[in-house]
Amino acid sequence: MFNANKPDSSELPSTGRLLKSTGIAVVIASALLVTVVLPAEYGVDPTRAGSLLGLTEMGRIKMQLAAEAKAEEASVQPAPVAPAAVVAAPAAGVASETVLGVRTDETVLTLAPDQGAEIKLVMEEGARVAFTWTSSGGAVNFDTHADRPGTPYHGYGKGTEQRVEGELVAAFTGSHGWFWRNRTGEPVTITLRTTGAYSEVKRVV
Amino acid sequence: MTATTHRWAAWLRTPGGILVLGLLILFLNGLLTAALAHGVADGDKGYIQETSGFLFWPFLYLGAKHMVTGYDHLLFLLGVIFFLYRMKDISIYVTLFAIGHSSTLLLGVLTDVSVSSYLVDAIIGLSVVYKALDNMGAYQRWFGFQPNTKAATLVFGLFHGFGLATKLQDFNMSPDGLIGNLLAFNIGVEIGQLLALGAILIVMGFWRKTSSFWRHAYTANVVVMTLGFILAGYQLVGFFVA
Repeated sequence: MFNANKPDSSELPSTGRLLKSTGIAVVIASALLVTVVLPAEYGVDPTRAGSLLGLTEMGRIKMQLAAEAKAEEASVQPAPVAPAAVVAAPAAGVASETVLGVRTDETVLTLAPDQGAEIKLVMEEGARVAFTWTSSGGAVNFDTHADRPGTPYHGYGKGTEQRVEGELVAAFTGSHGWFWRNRTGEPVTITLRTTGAYSEVKRVV
Repeated sequence: MTATTHRWAAWLRTPGGILVLGLLILFLNGLLTAALAHGVADGDKGYIQETSGFLFWPFLYLGAKHMVTGYDHLLFLLGVIFFLYRMKDISIYVTLFAIGHSSTLLLGVLTDVSVSSYLVDAIIGLSVVYKALDNMGAYQRWFGFQPNTKAATLVFGLFHGFGLATKLQDFNMSPDGLIGNLLAFNIGVEIGQLLALGAILIVMGFWRKTSSFWRHAYTANVVVMTLGFILAGYQLVGFFVA
């Protein structure tokens, strides 16, 4: 009836052996739970094994991202929170250097340890912006990306650097910019200089 | 209480019933969390998007976690070893499955082949259906011959690997350290598979010793097949709706 050979009972493992295997499984599972799963999921690391393997950082980041997501959900998107609070002091005093739709801005922001921030430029498809950003402290994580209604994420590149100079070419009409996360353990100041065709600098996070 | 419900209640108390029930819970949990997942990346995806460079142990862990919590792969694995009790046979089939999914996992990510994850996951659901029917002896009864079970395990392994690759591509891994992280993930997948296999084999070992195994083997495969159909349907609808 089945696609199977019926085993002789002598071919099957004995109950004692199965019970022993169950015991071993419980021991292995408990050990992995404490040394690997708890650090990697919750940043809880009683044995320090997780820190050794780099898993505790994963758990810490996950917990933090979850807390941030929860906080974001709780604050029911209050109308644009004064983006000017941190952002956009037009460079060198000369009020908006708008020559043929080209403008220049210098944006300075400070990131506490583990804090993240995101600056986006409103750009038309194909528009170009030359940019330079530097971190006053060590290298920070960055993710250069874009979004628009219907496209929540379009990546241009990411990594860990102290200074990046480049050109951003808008893949579509929408918001294009940088997300930084300070994992250095010390506060850092990020200075972003942008020159090109964009209509607005906004702080998203 | 009718005789039928009584038989079902008895079946649910067997180790096999508990195993299938456990997978069912994992399965529903997976469906629900997938449905609730929102655009903001947190959890594993958020972590991967925020990191770059070679991170051996974290990616090894993520590979193992993906396998241990991946109900689709576990269901197929359960189907494959359902009637296998000799360690030699088990290792041959599991190795074939591993060769299959490793090659397409590596190839898929490195060549950046983009296949619809819905279609791949639908085929993975159908692989579960196929294996359950295979166990029930359906092909021998319907077509009068037995398709090669080793070849089927290898070929479906290739599809499972594509499924893994589309998940990883969705994670937007940094190109910095990609190959090392990918290999770590793959090693993790195999470790996770062995851990899950160990647990499945122990439960099956207990069940196989009871007389209820042969009485309920057919029903168990019908349940596995049903889950496979749900998976395939869920993914196919996703392909057209999402």
